[in-house]
Amino acid sequence: MDRETMMKTMREATSNVLETMFYQPVQIRDTNCSLQKWFSGKQFLVGATLSFNGPSAGSFYLLLPATMVTGITANFLGIEEEKINEEQKKDTVKESLNMIGGHMLSLFDTEGAFKLGIPEFIEENDLTKDKLGGLKGDAILIETEENRLAAGIVIE
Amino acid sequence: MAFNVLIVDDSSSMRAIVRKIIKVSGFNIGELLEAADGKEAIKVLMDKWVDLVLTDINMPNMNGLELISEMKKDEMLKLIPVVMVTTEGSEKRIQESMELGASGYIKKPFLPEEIKRTLSAIMGEDEDGQRDYDEDDEGSDF
Repeated sequence: MDRETMMKTMREATSNVLETMFYQPVQIRDTNCSLQKWFSGKQFLVGATLSFNGPSAGSFYLLLPATMVTGITANFLGIEEEKINEEQKKDTVKESLNMIGGHMLSLFDTEGAFKLGIPEFIEENDLTKDKLGGLKGDAILIETEENRLAAGIVIE
Repeated sequence: MAFNVLIVDDSSSMRAIVRKIIKVSGFNIGELLEAADGKEAIKVLMDKWVDLVLTDINMPNMNGLELISEMKKDEMLKLIPVVMVTTEGSEKRIQESMELGASGYIKKPFLPEEIKRTLSAIMGEDEDGQRDYDEDDEGSDF
């Protein structure tokens, strides 16, 4: 799959998951802005990574502000923000990426040649500005009403 | 008659969502049971009466496809309908699930209506808990 089709599929999968499961209308920004610049504020980020293998191997990732996670978890689970615990937040971030990755593969992998791994949570200490610069691969930049996110794919 | 449903997913959030949708669906639900993978699901199935299994595919220890295969080896468990609720939506994966004996397939992300529709199709009830029946059955001894 060429890069343009791959990124188009990722845009479609990400919008679909965030809007259907988290009630978050999103705008995908067409820009070459780096991740460091995109997340230029003082906010802490968390994320998830999800490996895949098949005709090619690599991983998907999702990055979002830590402050946004409580809200999307509350939306996702349909419970009040005050009742959300850390485990639920991590699980929601992982499941979000699981749905994005799975949905993306389902859009182009009709033969089921790819297999997904198990999503892993990325703590905010592992997403400092310096480390963001080291993230390889292609990313799409996503904006909700109040937050900035990014989703990407790294082919090994 | 109330139906017992087993939800199998390694994501506790996803289990909570499916549980919530089923709870408010209006169906006559008995126990809502949970398991984090296929192995746990088999333990629950050996211990409790279950009328329907909703399972993810991509899980550690024992995945959803392996769970169906295990269930099909057992005389009692093979009769329980299994619906896949999963991000893995390729035609091949759907076909593979159906060939193993899955009764339905719901792709994540899903709308609550899709879960309700599937429950209705499998349980033969409408959302008010009224069992659908063939007019020819009226007055039978059952």
